[in-house]
Amino acid sequence: MENYFDVLSALILFSSFVLVANKRIISYIRTFQLQACLIALTAGIMGMNSFLKEGKIDILVVCAIILILKVYYIPRLLRKTYAGVEYKVEKDFFLNIPILIFICCFLVLFAYFSVPTIGGTMAGNVNIQVVNSFSLVLIGFFFMISRKKAIGQIVGFLVIENGIFITAMFSTHGMPFIVDVGVFIDLITAVLIMGIMVTRINDQFETIDINQLKNLRG
Amino acid sequence: MTFLTAEFLLSTSIILYMIAALAALVLLKNQKLCALLSSLICIVASLFGLAAAFKQLLFENTTMALRLWQSNIPFLDVILSMDALSAFFVLCLSILTLCVSIYSIGYMKHYYGIRNVGLFYFLYAGFIVSMFLVFTAGNAVIFFVVWEIMAVVSYFLVSFESDEPETQRAGILYIVMTHIGTAFLLIAFMLMFRYTGSFDFSISSSALPENIRDIMFVLFLVGFGTKAGIIPFHIWLPYAHPAAPSNISALMSGIMIKTAIYGLLRFVFIYLGVETTWWGIAILVIGMVSAVLGVAYAYIEQNIKRMLAYSSIENMGIIFIGIGVSFMAFSEGLELVGALALTAALLHTVNHTLFKGSLFLCAGSVHYAVHSKNMEDMGGLIKRMPITALFFLGGALSVSAMVPFNGFISEWLTYQSIFAGIIPGQAAENILLVFAVAALALSGALAAACFIKLFGISFLGLARSEQAASANEVPLSMSLGSGILTALCLLSGIFPLYALGLINRVVLQLANRPILDQLQGNIFFLYSPLEIHGNAISPQIIVLTLVIIAAGALFIERIIFGKEKRREFGTWDCGYEALNPRMQYSAAAFSKPIRVVFKMMFRSSRDLKIKGPLTYHPDAMEYSVTTESLFEKYVYDPVSRMVTAFSRKAKFMIQTGSVHTYLLYIFITTLILMFYNRVIG
Repeated sequence: MENYFDVLSALILFSSFVLVANKRIISYIRTFQLQACLIALTAGIMGMNSFLKEGKIDILVVCAIILILKVYYIPRLLRKTYAGVEYKVEKDFFLNIPILIFICCFLVLFAYFSVPTIGGTMAGNVNIQVVNSFSLVLIGFFFMISRKKAIGQIVGFLVIENGIFITAMFSTHGMPFIVDVGVFIDLITAVLIMGIMVTRINDQFETIDINQLKNLRG
Repeated sequence: MTFLTAEFLLSTSIILYMIAALAALVLLKNQKLCALLSSLICIVASLFGLAAAFKQLLFENTTMALRLWQSNIPFLDVILSMDALSAFFVLCLSILTLCVSIYSIGYMKHYYGIRNVGLFYFLYAGFIVSMFLVFTAGNAVIFFVVWEIMAVVSYFLVSFESDEPETQRAGILYIVMTHIGTAFLLIAFMLMFRYTGSFDFSISSSALPENIRDIMFVLFLVGFGTKAGIIPFHIWLPYAHPAAPSNISALMSGIMIKTAIYGLLRFVFIYLGVETTWWGIAILVIGMVSAVLGVAYAYIEQNIKRMLAYSSIENMGIIFIGIGVSFMAFSEGLELVGALALTAALLHTVNHTLFKGSLFLCAGSVHYAVHSKNMEDMGGLIKRMPITALFFLGGALSVSAMVPFNGFISEWLTYQSIFAGIIPGQAAENILLVFAVAALALSGALAAACFIKLFGISFLGLARSEQAASANEVPLSMSLGSGILTALCLLSGIFPLYALGLINRVVLQLANRPILDQLQGNIFFLYSPLEIHGNAISPQIIVLTLVIIAAGALFIERIIFGKEKRREFGTWDCGYEALNPRMQYSAAAFSKPIRVVFKMMFRSSRDLKIKGPLTYHPDAMEYSVTTESLFEKYVYDPVSRMVTAFSRKAKFMIQTGSVHTYLLYIFITTLILMFYNRVIG
């Protein structure tokens, strides 16, 4: 069982590298969708496991929510938002892709280096799943920094959320249902608001390059 | 009457204040009804508070604990507790609230239609309830929260007349200073939690190491000192008090700055315990400086309310002297002296609440009638407003420590405790204590001069302005509010043993050393403790003597000169056409001698403008005096310039406005923290 999880966590991490390597907005929405699928798969396996062993369906429900929300609804919303704003082909990142990948590798190493001392259930052991999923958080954050367009920030935020969710999954094998649901509600609200904000920014500045927000400073 | 427990009375009082706040919001539209109703509810609430305090102080021996709300979240239990110390301060608060609420019914009339009176009452009741909770908070978290609520609400009240630039500036200065003070308290509470693992200040503090105790003491001293307005943290006080409406000034000066005394006793005296002598010395020195400089600045002031504010600094200084002496004495094991000094400090606390409340309310009455706070616009008010003048005179005599008013008793006890603290063999401390006596004497004399100036310039002589000449006596409720306070000043001055009886309970709790039976000769006499010198005064006999001397003088005059014959003539005016108000002493002129004596401190400069073509026969002359505050010039201004310069730089260098940079800051901070956790943790 643990082997499956090891492989899945590695795949999820890999998908985030793919994300960083993507050039176009449309393609990183797609990569995000793929990542969400992998997370749903992980939750599904974990859910089946807990259903067969303890007869609980909590995690399966969570899996279903992920499928609906992250695989279907949020990408659709993002595409819609993206279609609404005028598209200009522009370089969307500050550094070039090889350097971004290189930095992401360092982030993974850093996660490997620093996670074992975080106290709690597996203090002292290196749990490769947690390291991978934790790296996902850092890479998501880094992704937010590296992209200029506002949709990049939304995707980065979603990746961070994915990372946190999957870290929780791997370290606890199922959080309390109410917590998961609360997180999802937060998430959907955040994405909706950010979608609106992107449209607004576009209306105001005729671009969604958030570097332009500098002009708002007092 | 078993249901009338202290718990019941206390919670009723708090709930009534909250109802008053809500009622004010509900009745926002109808200002008259709103003011009347909220004031009445506050009056009833303060009566309940008074009852709770008396009940706790006189009849209960255990600490009352009231658990309002219990949660599973750590440190979020709302617990109120009331022991003798809390009850004593609740008592002061309730007396003052009672009088100020009565006063407000009339006073708020001149805001009708100009300001949002409903909002005012909401804040007013909220302010009182927050102070109430400060005195009864059961743990440091609650204390801190209500302390901050008190600060914020009082900020809104200070800047109630918000369209005047001076008020805005005063409000900003106040909120900045009070927040700096709060920051120190926050650090102290964090240290407390770091070493004891609890925010409960009723448990023992033995887990704290010695040096941490010293650090916490300094933090508490600065944090509470800022609220107390002692020098050098006083700069907000002379601006905030005049800017606020007078009923709020009375509350702020009467009781809000006393929350600092409460905090100091609660956290330093009870929680940390007094073991080190230099704590007492530090408090004593600060108290001496505040007492002398506070009153010196008060003396040269022309604005009535600012003068009263500086006088508050002086009185806080006197209270600090008492506390300082008591800390020194306790740390050296002189329990009796310590208890005596503590009694004196607490008595001066309640006395200051009474007379400063009365004085601020009277100053408000004067402002209400004359529409000015500047003494140079007043004069002759004793004829136009005899009742206010009478009460003001009572308050002024009390603050100047004149028999038979209460200020005398507490200053007398403070002197006695300092004298008793002088013990052969400790040269350094003895010299300090002698200086303390000198400081107290100097400040007492200056305070008397200061209030002679205040009363003489504003109430005596001829009116200096149209408004003063046509001023009318204020409504009954306003006179009643200040009158009760002045009457209490007189009563507790003539019968000090009742007030001392209440304070004795507090000292008993704090120091476990009853002092009352030492002070009590019989009902007539107030002794300095018999163990020490056994000299005594009797306020009642002094009053009786005064009456007899006055009556005797009148009698003898009658015998010698016979029946009164009255001739009325104008005062001889050196041949001018008529006397006019400009021939009187002005406030600035009155304070000139002191200004010259303390020239180094006031840095006064004068400016004489002569108008007209001829120097020797000018059309008009204009004379103005300016003084500058040393603390503002050499301490606060440079600091504020530095902060402004840093902020401006930070705006360009750190706060760039780029979302990416901000994200990068967060990211790098996260990485550094993780690294720190890995390497150090």
